[in-house]
Amino acid sequence: MFRAGSIPWLALHELRMVLREMQRDKARVFQLVMLVVFMGALLACGVGLGLVVRETGLPPIDPRVIAVTDLVVLVMFSIMVSSTLARAAQVLYLRDDLDLLFSSPIPARKILAVRFAGIAFSVTIFWLFIAFGLVIPIAVLAMPQLLAILPVLLSLGLLSSAAGLLLTTVLFRLLGPRRTRVLAQVLSALIGASVFLVSQLPRLLNNVDTDYGRWGWIRDYATGEKHLDLPPQADLLLRAALGEPIPLLIVVGVCLGAFLLVTQGLGRRFARDAAIAVGSDASKRKAGKTGAFAAGAFAATLRKELRLLFRDIALFSQVLLRVFYMLPLAFVFVRNASSGHSLLLPGGAAALALMAGQLSSSFTWITVSAEDSPDLLVASPTAMSVITRAKLWAGLLPTLALVILPIVAVGIWSPWTGAVAAVGAFCSAWASGMLNIWYQRPGRRADFRRRGNVHWLLVIPILLVGGLIAGATFLAAAQMLWAIVPAVLAAVATLALRRTDKQILERLRTPD
Amino acid sequence: MTDALVLSRLNKTFGGKAAVADLDLTVRSGELYALLGPNGAGKTTTLRMVAGLLAPTSGSISVFGIDALRDPAAAKAITAWAPDEPMLYDRLNPMEYLEFVAGLWGVDGKTARAKAEELLKWLGLWEERAQRCEGFSRGMKQKTALAGALIHDPKLLMLDEPLTGLDAAMARQVKDVLQERVRQGGTVILTTHILEVAERMADRIGIIQGGRLLAEGNLEELRALGGRSAASLEDLFLQLTEPATV
Repeated sequence: MFRAGSIPWLALHELRMVLREMQRDKARVFQLVMLVVFMGALLACGVGLGLVVRETGLPPIDPRVIAVTDLVVLVMFSIMVSSTLARAAQVLYLRDDLDLLFSSPIPARKILAVRFAGIAFSVTIFWLFIAFGLVIPIAVLAMPQLLAILPVLLSLGLLSSAAGLLLTTVLFRLLGPRRTRVLAQVLSALIGASVFLVSQLPRLLNNVDTDYGRWGWIRDYATGEKHLDLPPQADLLLRAALGEPIPLLIVVGVCLGAFLLVTQGLGRRFARDAAIAVGSDASKRKAGKTGAFAAGAFAATLRKELRLLFRDIALFSQVLLRVFYMLPLAFVFVRNASSGHSLLLPGGAAALALMAGQLSSSFTWITVSAEDSPDLLVASPTAMSVITRAKLWAGLLPTLALVILPIVAVGIWSPWTGAVAAVGAFCSAWASGMLNIWYQRPGRRADFRRRGNVHWLLVIPILLVGGLIAGATFLAAAQMLWAIVPAVLAAVATLALRRTDKQILERLRTPD
Repeated sequence: MTDALVLSRLNKTFGGKAAVADLDLTVRSGELYALLGPNGAGKTTTLRMVAGLLAPTSGSISVFGIDALRDPAAAKAITAWAPDEPMLYDRLNPMEYLEFVAGLWGVDGKTARAKAEELLKWLGLWEERAQRCEGFSRGMKQKTALAGALIHDPKLLMLDEPLTGLDAAMARQVKDVLQERVRQGGTVILTTHILEVAERMADRIGIIQGGRLLAEGNLEELRALGGRSAASLEDLFLQLTEPATV
């Protein structure tokens, strides 16, 4: 259909690879159903909004609307850059078919332009999906010019892709191949988390005990009591999204120009970096004195799993993101616990139990289900239960290491609450770990970034059991006998979900 | 002396299709046995059943007199299996890998450490002991996996296509290791597509196709089987497996 080697031909190849990748995902039916439901809800909202807009028209563009739009775009763009940075590093190191493409006579700049356009599209697709559901009905019912939101989103995707490529190349120049890989992954996680943390700043800086402290600063601006001083051209994005031709042309032109400039300017350099990145992990490590070997299958497996866990910075940082998300809550908790708020200590204990469950779920998902050599384990004379137990502990140990400090801190304020938090955190971590063992789905470690943090079937049971244990922890910390009810329910739910070794093996032979 | 491996009327079917059909095979203790066959003949399936990775549909497997189906742990304890794709962990170095494998086979930590050092030196990997396997060449990965297979000093060593993708020097080194193993009294079973390897190294050769044993014996016995037209093992192999390879 297209001339071989042309940009559309390469784009078609990219698209085919993306579709094949999606077809590999066994959970696609469930995801498809969820997507259809979500799209239905969006369209319903869109129709409602469209009818309102047809009657009343859009509100006038004032500084508050501009500020909100710019803020939304900033959040969206940060998330896009976070994704493109991670994906640029993946392109550099995982490569996939890049060697084949680079060995062809097609110019490297062309190949990378298509690949990064693909990345831009993939990080935009979620926002396009939302915009599509909301905007199309409004455009059809009231304002066709609102369709301009779609090219604006695509342009932002191109700009974020260029930023990801630029950042990766700069890191590569400054730090070299090995450190770039680690830092790109960590930075990507931090950029994603920073959006959340920044959004919580007002909560941390203001007095949360009063309603005014929490929302007052926003209310002042919203009611016009305080005036917003915006820089010139702050309304450019809003006007572009509303379909004004000149702003739209400027936004699309600047983003596309930046994308072309970066991909064409850095394409050759990126191709060279990619060649250097191959085997960068093979750079010499000093052979120090080798310590004593672990004795027995349990110790050897535990040691192996901990080594692999701590050496996979990308997966580890993904898991640690959950701790980052808990930080604002922790700040608030610490500040208010010291002022003697009656329900905050039990609340903190419950939050710790919930967090321990979530962390343990992620860690054991990796240690249990990410196994590069399952045949080696099956061919060994060690009983599978010993290996599984070691893998469970390899997931529990880092979890407990992460929650132990806050538990000790709680214990200093209230020894009873500290003890309850410790028991709750351990039970929650253990239950999540066991659920991951019972419903394990082994796969190669390299595929895990694609597969997410946990098996989709497990999300609800883990949240349910974790929630019940957190509830029991809260009530027990508040010295209420009612704690027995959620505790028993959690135990019953866990037992109901239990699988025997035989059932696990059966399931492994016939994965879903 | 007890035979190293006895397979009796071994069957394995996948979705009604027989991968191994009524296979009777005996490997004597202390010999190097080469299992030959065209692609899809059932070589790997057979070895995977012996290693305990696949349950046979019917039949029996005996490893040095131990019923591998009734007491798999005991059979596995004296067996090692090295598939064509090395079973390694990219982010572990060879010493860490050997520590893990030794742990799985219950080798005492002190003994395992000494054995690991000996094996890595013997296989020319000692200088690379701190490097992670992800940067290794195919040959180095193959040798690391071989060290893993030997760490518990197995009585029966099974290798699936151990020379695939190795350069001449590496292939020679692996062949030397296997022959040394047999000299020390170990039993080795290997599958290979390189008929010359089987011809030069194996004490006895088995040719299978469609999951059935077509011929078995040492080179002379096989030549006699093939008659005047089979001048070499290659001739005999092609003669026996012709319908499938055309």
